[in-house]
Amino acid sequence: MALTSVQSFYSPEDNKTVIELLDKHEDSALIVAGGTFLHGLVSRGLLSGIEALISIQKLGLNKIDVGKGAISIGATTLLGQLKGCPQVQQESWLGAIKDAMEYPPVQIMNSGTIGGSISSSCPFFDFPVSLLALDGSVQAEGGSGSRDIPLQEFFAGLFENSLASDEFVTGVSIPVPSKSSTSAFIKMETNANDLAILNVGVRLTMGDAGICDEARVFVGGGVGESPVRSPSAEAALTGGAVDNDAIDLAGQAVLADVDPLSDHRASADYRKAMSGVLLKRALKSAMQRLS
Amino acid sequence: MKQIIELDINDEVHELAVEPYDSLLRTLRDRAGLQGTKKGCDSGGCGCCTVLVDGKAMYSCMTMVMSVQDKKITTVEGLPEGGELDPLQQAFIDAGAVQCGYCTCGIMMASKQLLNENPNPSEAEIRKGISGNLCRCTGYQKIVEAIQLAAAATKNG
Repeated sequence: MALTSVQSFYSPEDNKTVIELLDKHEDSALIVAGGTFLHGLVSRGLLSGIEALISIQKLGLNKIDVGKGAISIGATTLLGQLKGCPQVQQESWLGAIKDAMEYPPVQIMNSGTIGGSISSSCPFFDFPVSLLALDGSVQAEGGSGSRDIPLQEFFAGLFENSLASDEFVTGVSIPVPSKSSTSAFIKMETNANDLAILNVGVRLTMGDAGICDEARVFVGGGVGESPVRSPSAEAALTGGAVDNDAIDLAGQAVLADVDPLSDHRASADYRKAMSGVLLKRALKSAMQRLS
Repeated sequence: MKQIIELDINDEVHELAVEPYDSLLRTLRDRAGLQGTKKGCDSGGCGCCTVLVDGKAMYSCMTMVMSVQDKKITTVEGLPEGGELDPLQQAFIDAGAVQCGYCTCGIMMASKQLLNENPNPSEAEIRKGISGNLCRCTGYQKIVEAIQLAAAATKNG
Protein backbone atom coordinates (compact mmCIF):
# COMPACT_ATOMS: atom_id res chain seq x y z
CA MET A 1 0.00 0.00 0.00
CA ALA A 2 1.50 3.30 -0.97
CA LEU A 3 0.45 6.90 -0.85
CA THR A 4 0.64 7.31 -4.61
CA SER A 5 -0.85 10.81 -4.60
CA VAL A 6 2.38 12.16 -3.07
CA GLN A 7 4.31 14.38 -5.47
CA SER A 8 6.91 15.90 -3.14
CA PHE A 9 8.92 14.92 -0.10
CA TYR A 10 10.39 17.92 1.74
CA SER A 11 13.07 17.88 4.44
CA PRO A 12 13.23 21.51 5.64
CA GLU A 13 15.83 22.57 8.17
CA ASP A 14 13.91 25.27 10.01
CA ASN A 15 10.43 25.65 11.51
CA LYS A 16 9.59 28.66 9.36
CA THR A 17 9.92 26.65 6.15
CA VAL A 18 7.71 23.90 7.59
CA ILE A 19 4.98 26.46 8.31
CA GLU A 20 5.34 28.00 4.84
CA LEU A 21 5.00 24.55 3.26
CA LEU A 22 1.94 23.77 5.40
CA ASP A 23 0.45 27.10 4.40
CA LYS A 24 1.18 26.48 0.73
CA HIS A 25 -0.15 22.92 0.56
CA GLU A 26 -2.93 23.29 3.17
CA ASP A 27 -4.82 20.02 3.64
CA SER A 28 -2.78 18.18 1.02
CA ALA A 29 0.36 18.23 3.20
CA LEU A 30 1.25 15.82 5.95
CA ILE A 31 3.99 16.13 8.55
CA VAL A 32 6.09 12.98 8.96
CA ALA A 33 8.93 12.00 11.26
CA GLY A 34 9.48 8.26 11.84
CA GLY A 35 6.58 7.62 9.45
CA THR A 36 5.61 4.43 11.27
CA PHE A 37 1.88 5.18 11.42
CA LEU A 38 1.59 6.51 7.89
CA HIS A 39 1.11 3.04 6.41
CA GLY A 40 -1.49 2.23 9.04
CA LEU A 41 -3.54 5.26 8.03
CA VAL A 42 -3.12 4.58 4.30
CA SER A 43 -4.14 0.94 4.60
CA ARG A 44 -7.26 1.92 6.55
CA GLY A 45 -8.22 4.37 3.81
CA LEU A 46 -7.89 7.26 6.24
CA LEU A 47 -5.56 9.35 4.10
CA SER A 48 -6.42 10.71 0.72
CA GLY A 49 -5.35 13.63 -1.39
CA ILE A 50 -1.93 13.91 0.28
CA GLU A 51 0.44 15.52 -2.23
CA ALA A 52 3.30 16.63 0.00
CA LEU A 53 5.12 14.91 2.84
CA ILE A 54 7.06 17.26 5.10
CA SER A 55 9.72 15.53 7.16
CA ILE A 56 10.60 17.34 10.40
CA GLN A 57 13.62 15.11 11.07
CA LYS A 58 16.12 17.87 10.26
CA LEU A 59 14.74 20.51 12.65
CA GLY A 60 16.83 19.36 15.60
CA LEU A 61 13.74 18.53 17.67
CA ASN A 62 15.20 15.24 18.93
CA LYS A 63 16.18 16.51 22.38
CA ILE A 64 15.02 15.95 25.94
CA ASP A 65 15.43 18.95 28.22
CA VAL A 66 15.11 18.25 31.94
CA GLY A 67 14.23 21.60 33.52
CA LYS A 68 13.31 22.50 37.09
CA GLY A 69 9.64 23.03 36.34
CA ALA A 70 9.12 20.66 33.44
CA ILE A 71 10.62 17.99 31.24
CA SER A 72 10.43 19.02 27.60
CA ILE A 73 10.63 16.34 24.94
CA GLY A 74 11.19 17.37 21.31
CA ALA A 75 8.82 16.02 18.67
CA THR A 76 11.38 13.86 16.86
CA THR A 77 12.75 12.29 20.04
CA LEU A 78 12.69 8.54 19.44
CA LEU A 79 10.77 6.30 21.83
CA GLY A 80 14.08 4.53 22.49
CA GLN A 81 15.72 7.83 23.42
CA LEU A 82 12.98 8.59 25.94
CA LYS A 83 13.32 5.10 27.42
CA GLY A 84 17.03 5.74 27.93
CA CYS A 85 16.47 9.07 29.73
CA PRO A 86 17.87 8.60 33.29
CA GLN A 87 14.97 10.49 34.91
CA VAL A 88 12.45 8.23 33.17
CA GLN A 89 14.28 5.18 34.47
CA GLN A 90 14.67 6.45 38.04
CA GLU A 91 11.87 8.84 39.08
CA SER A 92 8.71 7.24 40.48
CA TRP A 93 6.54 10.12 39.23
CA LEU A 94 7.63 9.27 35.66
CA GLY A 95 6.81 5.59 36.17
CA ALA A 96 3.91 5.71 33.69
CA ILE A 97 6.29 6.82 30.94
CA LYS A 98 8.84 4.14 31.88
CA ASP A 99 6.11 1.49 31.77
CA ALA A 100 4.77 2.65 28.39
CA MET A 101 8.25 2.42 26.90
CA GLU A 102 8.57 -1.26 27.91
CA TYR A 103 6.03 -2.48 25.35
CA PRO A 104 7.09 -1.50 21.81
CA PRO A 105 9.40 -3.86 19.89
CA VAL A 106 12.90 -2.67 19.06
CA GLN A 107 11.97 -1.66 15.51
CA ILE A 108 9.41 0.83 16.81
CA MET A 109 11.69 2.08 19.59
CA ASN A 110 14.26 2.87 16.87
CA SER A 111 11.94 4.79 14.56
CA GLY A 112 8.73 5.89 16.30
CA THR A 113 8.79 9.44 17.67
CA ILE A 114 7.15 11.19 20.59
CA GLY A 115 5.59 13.83 18.33
CA GLY A 116 4.21 11.17 16.01
CA SER A 117 2.67 9.16 18.82
CA ILE A 118 0.81 12.28 19.94
CA SER A 119 -0.15 13.92 16.65
CA SER A 120 -1.42 10.66 15.13
CA SER A 121 -4.25 11.07 17.66
CA CYS A 122 -4.74 7.33 17.70
CA PRO A 123 -6.73 6.12 20.73
CA PHE A 124 -4.90 2.78 20.72
CA PHE A 125 -1.45 4.27 21.35
CA ASP A 126 0.31 3.93 24.70
CA PHE A 127 2.46 7.03 25.21
CA PRO A 128 -0.49 9.48 25.06
CA VAL A 129 -2.29 7.68 27.91
CA SER A 130 0.81 7.81 30.12
CA LEU A 131 1.31 11.49 29.24
CA LEU A 132 -2.32 12.31 30.02
CA ALA A 133 -1.91 10.81 33.50
CA LEU A 134 1.01 13.21 34.06
CA ASP A 135 -0.95 16.30 32.93
CA GLY A 136 1.27 16.62 29.87
CA SER A 137 0.84 19.29 27.25
CA VAL A 138 1.67 19.67 23.57
CA GLN A 139 3.76 22.46 22.02
CA ALA A 140 2.62 23.47 18.57
CA GLU A 141 3.98 26.02 16.17
CA GLY A 142 2.20 27.69 13.27
CA GLY A 143 1.68 30.88 11.32
CA SER A 144 0.30 32.69 14.36
CA GLY A 145 3.17 31.66 16.64
CA SER A 146 3.67 28.88 19.15
CA ARG A 147 1.25 27.69 21.79
CA ASP A 148 0.91 25.17 24.56
CA ILE A 149 -2.12 22.87 24.39
CA PRO A 150 -3.12 20.66 27.36
CA LEU A 151 -3.07 17.13 25.96
CA GLN A 152 -6.69 16.53 26.91
CA GLU A 153 -7.75 19.46 24.74
CA PHE A 154 -5.44 18.39 21.92
CA PHE A 155 -7.34 15.21 21.00
CA ALA A 156 -10.51 15.87 19.04
CA GLY A 157 -11.77 12.41 18.03
CA LEU A 158 -10.50 9.40 16.12
CA PHE A 159 -7.27 10.44 14.34
CA GLU A 160 -8.34 14.08 14.79
CA ASN A 161 -6.70 16.84 16.80
CA SER A 162 -7.10 20.53 17.43
CA LEU A 163 -4.13 21.69 15.35
CA ALA A 164 -4.78 24.38 12.76
CA SER A 165 -3.86 23.42 9.20
CA ASP A 166 -0.62 25.46 9.37
CA GLU A 167 0.42 24.13 12.79
CA PHE A 168 2.63 21.21 13.71
CA VAL A 169 3.73 19.58 16.96
CA THR A 170 7.23 20.60 18.06
CA GLY A 171 7.26 18.74 21.36
CA VAL A 172 5.55 17.78 24.58
CA SER A 173 6.05 18.95 28.11
CA ILE A 174 5.53 17.23 31.47
CA PRO A 175 5.22 19.41 34.59
CA VAL A 176 7.48 18.33 37.47
CA PRO A 177 5.18 17.71 40.47
CA SER A 178 5.79 19.82 43.57
CA LYS A 179 4.81 16.99 45.91
CA SER A 180 5.67 13.32 46.20
CA SER A 181 4.07 11.66 43.24
CA THR A 182 3.99 8.24 41.62
CA SER A 183 2.58 6.90 38.38
CA ALA A 184 2.17 3.71 36.38
CA PHE A 185 0.86 2.46 33.05
CA ILE A 186 -0.41 -0.94 31.92
CA LYS A 187 -1.24 -2.19 28.44
CA MET A 188 -3.26 -5.25 27.52
CA GLU A 189 -2.34 -6.58 24.08
CA THR A 190 -2.91 -9.64 21.91
CA ASN A 191 0.78 -10.02 21.05
CA ALA A 192 3.96 -8.06 21.60
CA ASN A 193 3.49 -6.08 18.42
CA ASP A 194 -0.17 -5.10 18.43
CA LEU A 195 -2.07 -1.98 19.38
CA ALA A 196 -3.69 -1.99 22.80
CA ILE A 197 -6.91 -3.83 23.57
CA LEU A 198 -6.96 -1.54 26.58
CA ASN A 199 -4.46 0.60 28.42
CA VAL A 200 -4.51 2.51 31.69
CA GLY A 201 -2.38 5.35 33.02
CA VAL A 202 -2.53 6.54 36.65
CA ARG A 203 -0.82 9.16 38.75
CA LEU A 204 -1.15 9.64 42.51
CA THR A 205 0.05 12.76 44.29
CA MET A 206 0.62 11.87 47.92
CA GLY A 207 0.35 14.33 50.80
CA ASP A 208 1.30 13.96 54.44
CA ALA A 209 0.66 10.70 56.27
CA GLY A 210 0.04 8.73 53.08
CA ILE A 211 -3.11 10.60 52.07
CA CYS A 212 -3.74 10.90 48.34
CA ASP A 213 -4.16 14.58 47.50
CA GLU A 214 -4.82 14.17 43.81
CA ALA A 215 -5.37 11.29 41.41
CA ARG A 216 -5.38 11.00 37.63
CA VAL A 217 -6.92 8.03 35.90
CA PHE A 218 -7.01 7.67 32.11
CA VAL A 219 -8.17 4.67 30.10
CA GLY A 220 -7.33 4.24 26.41
CA GLY A 221 -7.18 1.60 23.71
CA GLY A 222 -10.67 1.20 22.36
CA VAL A 223 -12.67 2.83 25.13
CA GLY A 224 -13.50 5.77 22.92
CA GLU A 225 -12.31 7.91 20.02
CA SER A 226 -9.79 9.43 22.40
CA PRO A 227 -8.51 8.22 25.78
CA VAL A 228 -11.09 8.69 28.53
CA ARG A 229 -10.57 10.26 31.94
CA SER A 230 -12.31 8.68 34.92
CA PRO A 231 -13.44 11.33 37.45
CA SER A 232 -15.29 8.62 39.43
CA ALA A 233 -12.14 6.55 39.95
CA GLU A 234 -10.16 9.70 40.77
CA ALA A 235 -12.76 10.68 43.41
CA ALA A 236 -12.59 7.19 44.94
CA LEU A 237 -8.82 7.58 45.38
CA THR A 238 -8.63 11.18 46.61
CA GLY A 239 -8.63 12.19 50.27
CA GLY A 240 -7.62 8.88 51.84
CA ALA A 241 -4.97 6.22 51.92
CA VAL A 242 -4.51 4.26 48.69
CA ASP A 243 -4.98 0.88 50.36
CA ASN A 244 -6.54 -2.27 48.97
CA ASP A 245 -10.06 -1.05 49.80
CA ALA A 246 -9.56 2.25 47.98
CA ILE A 247 -8.03 0.41 45.02
CA ASP A 248 -11.02 -1.97 44.86
CA LEU A 249 -13.43 0.98 45.01
CA ALA A 250 -11.58 2.75 42.19
CA GLY A 251 -11.68 -0.46 40.13
CA GLN A 252 -15.48 -0.44 40.48
CA ALA A 253 -15.86 3.31 40.03
CA VAL A 254 -14.03 3.40 36.68
CA LEU A 255 -16.76 1.24 35.12
CA ALA A 256 -19.19 4.18 35.34
CA ASP A 257 -16.97 6.32 33.14
CA VAL A 258 -16.08 3.97 30.29
CA ASP A 259 -18.35 3.01 27.41
CA PRO A 260 -15.92 1.03 25.22
CA LEU A 261 -16.00 0.08 21.55
CA SER A 262 -16.29 -3.44 20.17
CA ASP A 263 -13.86 -4.43 17.44
CA HIS A 264 -11.80 -7.34 16.16
CA ARG A 265 -9.53 -7.12 19.22
CA ALA A 266 -12.16 -7.31 21.96
CA SER A 267 -15.82 -6.80 22.78
CA ALA A 268 -17.07 -3.72 24.59
CA ASP A 269 -18.11 -5.85 27.59
CA TYR A 270 -14.66 -7.40 27.87
CA ARG A 271 -12.95 -4.03 27.62
CA LYS A 272 -15.24 -2.61 30.29
CA ALA A 273 -14.63 -5.47 32.71
CA MET A 274 -10.89 -5.33 32.12
CA SER A 275 -10.70 -1.57 32.66
CA GLY A 276 -11.41 -2.19 36.35
CA VAL A 277 -8.89 -5.03 36.54
CA LEU A 278 -6.13 -3.09 34.77
CA LEU A 279 -6.76 0.02 36.86
CA LYS A 280 -6.30 -1.97 40.07
CA ARG A 281 -3.06 -3.46 38.76
CA ALA A 282 -1.79 -0.04 37.68
CA LEU A 283 -2.60 1.47 41.07
CA LYS A 284 -0.79 -1.33 42.91
CA SER A 285 2.20 -0.89 40.63
CA ALA A 286 2.23 2.88 41.25
CA MET A 287 2.05 2.38 45.03
CA GLN A 288 4.87 -0.18 44.92
CA ARG A 289 7.06 2.47 43.33
CA LEU A 290 6.66 4.64 46.44
CA SER A 291 7.82 1.95 48.86
CA MET B 1 7.33 11.65 -10.38
CA LYS B 2 10.44 9.55 -9.92
CA GLN B 3 13.67 11.10 -8.83
CA ILE B 4 17.22 9.78 -8.58
CA ILE B 5 18.64 9.28 -5.09
CA GLU B 6 21.81 7.72 -3.74
CA LEU B 7 21.46 5.08 -1.09
CA ASP B 8 24.21 3.33 0.86
CA ILE B 9 23.14 -0.30 0.98
CA ASN B 10 25.59 -2.84 2.41
CA ASP B 11 28.51 -0.39 1.99
CA GLU B 12 27.76 0.10 -1.67
CA VAL B 13 26.27 3.32 -3.03
CA HIS B 14 23.26 2.62 -5.25
CA GLU B 15 21.82 5.20 -7.60
CA LEU B 16 18.10 4.54 -7.70
CA ALA B 17 15.02 6.06 -9.30
CA VAL B 18 12.33 6.22 -6.62
CA GLU B 19 8.88 7.72 -6.12
CA PRO B 20 8.66 10.24 -3.25
CA TYR B 21 6.26 7.91 -1.43
CA ASP B 22 8.36 4.73 -1.80
CA SER B 23 9.06 2.74 1.31
CA LEU B 24 12.57 1.48 1.98
CA LEU B 25 11.19 -2.05 1.51
CA ARG B 26 9.90 -1.35 -1.99
CA THR B 27 13.14 0.41 -2.86
CA LEU B 28 15.26 -2.53 -1.72
CA ARG B 29 13.19 -5.22 -3.41
CA ASP B 30 11.86 -3.55 -6.56
CA ARG B 31 14.39 -0.79 -7.27
CA ALA B 32 17.69 -2.27 -6.01
CA GLY B 33 16.81 -5.91 -6.69
CA LEU B 34 17.75 -7.03 -3.19
CA GLN B 35 15.02 -9.53 -2.37
CA GLY B 36 16.46 -11.01 0.82
CA THR B 37 14.34 -8.49 2.71
CA LYS B 38 10.84 -9.95 2.74
CA LYS B 39 7.47 -8.29 2.38
CA GLY B 40 5.03 -9.72 4.90
CA CYS B 41 2.17 -7.67 6.31
CA ASP B 42 3.51 -4.41 4.86
CA SER B 43 2.20 -2.55 7.92
CA GLY B 44 4.73 -3.04 10.70
CA GLY B 45 3.09 -6.06 12.28
CA CYS B 46 5.27 -9.02 11.32
CA GLY B 47 8.93 -7.95 11.16
CA CYS B 48 9.84 -9.85 7.94
CA CYS B 49 11.09 -6.61 6.39
CA THR B 50 13.48 -5.69 9.24
CA VAL B 51 16.75 -4.12 8.10
CA LEU B 52 19.41 -2.10 9.93
CA VAL B 53 19.51 1.66 9.46
CA ASP B 54 22.75 3.02 10.93
CA GLY B 55 22.93 -0.23 12.89
CA LYS B 56 19.40 0.04 14.29
CA ALA B 57 16.67 -2.47 13.40
CA MET B 58 13.72 -0.91 11.63
CA TYR B 59 10.69 -2.06 9.67
CA SER B 60 11.63 -1.16 6.10
CA CYS B 61 7.94 -1.25 5.10
CA MET B 62 7.26 1.69 7.40
CA THR B 63 10.40 3.65 6.61
CA MET B 64 10.16 6.30 3.90
CA VAL B 65 13.15 5.88 1.60
CA MET B 66 13.48 9.66 1.26
CA SER B 67 14.19 9.92 4.98
CA VAL B 68 17.15 7.51 5.01
CA GLN B 69 19.23 8.93 2.16
CA ASP B 70 22.11 9.90 4.44
CA LYS B 71 22.06 6.64 6.42
CA LYS B 72 23.78 3.27 6.10
CA ILE B 73 21.35 0.48 5.24
CA THR B 74 22.26 -3.12 6.02
CA THR B 75 20.16 -5.98 4.65
CA VAL B 76 20.61 -9.72 5.03
CA GLU B 77 22.72 -9.67 1.85
CA GLY B 78 25.19 -7.51 3.76
CA LEU B 79 25.64 -9.89 6.70
CA PRO B 80 28.42 -12.14 5.31
CA GLU B 81 31.95 -10.81 5.57
CA GLY B 82 34.80 -11.91 3.29
CA GLY B 83 32.74 -14.73 1.82
CA GLU B 84 32.02 -16.16 5.28
CA LEU B 85 28.50 -16.37 6.65
CA ASP B 86 27.77 -14.16 9.64
CA PRO B 87 27.76 -16.18 12.91
CA LEU B 88 24.00 -15.57 13.06
CA GLN B 89 23.45 -17.11 9.63
CA GLN B 90 25.63 -20.12 10.48
CA ALA B 91 23.84 -20.55 13.81
CA PHE B 92 20.40 -20.52 12.16
CA ILE B 93 21.61 -23.35 9.91
CA ASP B 94 23.24 -25.30 12.74
CA ALA B 95 20.28 -24.97 15.09
CA GLY B 96 17.74 -25.84 12.39
CA ALA B 97 16.00 -22.57 13.13
CA VAL B 98 14.44 -22.23 9.69
CA GLN B 99 11.09 -23.76 8.79
CA CYS B 100 9.38 -21.98 5.90
CA GLY B 101 12.12 -19.35 6.10
CA TYR B 102 10.02 -16.30 5.41
CA CYS B 103 10.63 -14.63 8.79
CA THR B 104 14.28 -15.69 8.99
CA CYS B 105 15.98 -12.69 7.39
CA GLY B 106 14.01 -10.22 9.49
CA ILE B 107 14.71 -12.11 12.69
CA MET B 108 18.43 -12.28 11.90
CA MET B 109 18.52 -8.51 11.33
CA ALA B 110 16.72 -7.79 14.62
CA SER B 111 19.10 -10.24 16.33
CA LYS B 112 22.08 -8.50 14.75
CA GLN B 113 21.31 -5.27 16.61
CA LEU B 114 20.67 -7.25 19.79
CA LEU B 115 24.04 -9.04 19.67
CA ASN B 116 25.90 -5.88 18.62
CA GLU B 117 24.63 -4.10 21.71
CA ASN B 118 24.39 -7.04 24.09
CA PRO B 119 26.86 -9.82 23.11
CA ASN B 120 25.70 -12.09 25.94
CA PRO B 121 21.90 -11.78 26.16
CA SER B 122 19.72 -13.81 28.51
CA GLU B 123 16.89 -15.87 27.03
CA ALA B 124 14.42 -13.20 28.17
CA GLU B 125 16.48 -10.50 26.47
CA ILE B 126 16.56 -12.54 23.26
CA ARG B 127 12.79 -13.01 23.33
CA LYS B 128 12.31 -9.27 23.94
CA GLY B 129 14.82 -8.48 21.17
CA ILE B 130 12.80 -10.41 18.59
CA SER B 131 9.35 -9.50 19.96
CA GLY B 132 8.75 -7.34 16.89
CA ASN B 133 9.09 -10.37 14.60
CA LEU B 134 6.51 -13.09 14.05
CA CYS B 135 7.26 -16.68 13.00
CA ARG B 136 4.03 -18.11 11.65
CA CYS B 137 5.55 -21.60 11.80
CA THR B 138 5.91 -20.84 15.55
CA GLY B 139 9.47 -22.16 15.57
CA TYR B 140 10.57 -19.75 18.28
CA GLN B 141 12.40 -22.28 20.43
CA LYS B 142 14.93 -23.12 17.70
CA ILE B 143 15.25 -19.45 16.80
CA VAL B 144 16.12 -18.55 20.41
CA GLU B 145 18.62 -21.43 20.45
CA ALA B 146 20.20 -20.17 17.23
CA ILE B 147 20.67 -16.69 18.67
CA GLN B 148 22.23 -18.20 21.80
CA LEU B 149 24.52 -20.25 19.55
CA ALA B 150 25.49 -17.16 17.56
CA ALA B 151 26.25 -15.28 20.79
CA ALA B 152 28.48 -18.10 21.96
CA ALA B 153 30.22 -18.39 18.56
CA THR B 154 30.87 -14.65 18.46
CA LYS B 155 32.32 -14.74 21.97
CA ASN B 156 34.58 -17.70 21.22
CA GLY B 157 35.47 -16.62 17.71
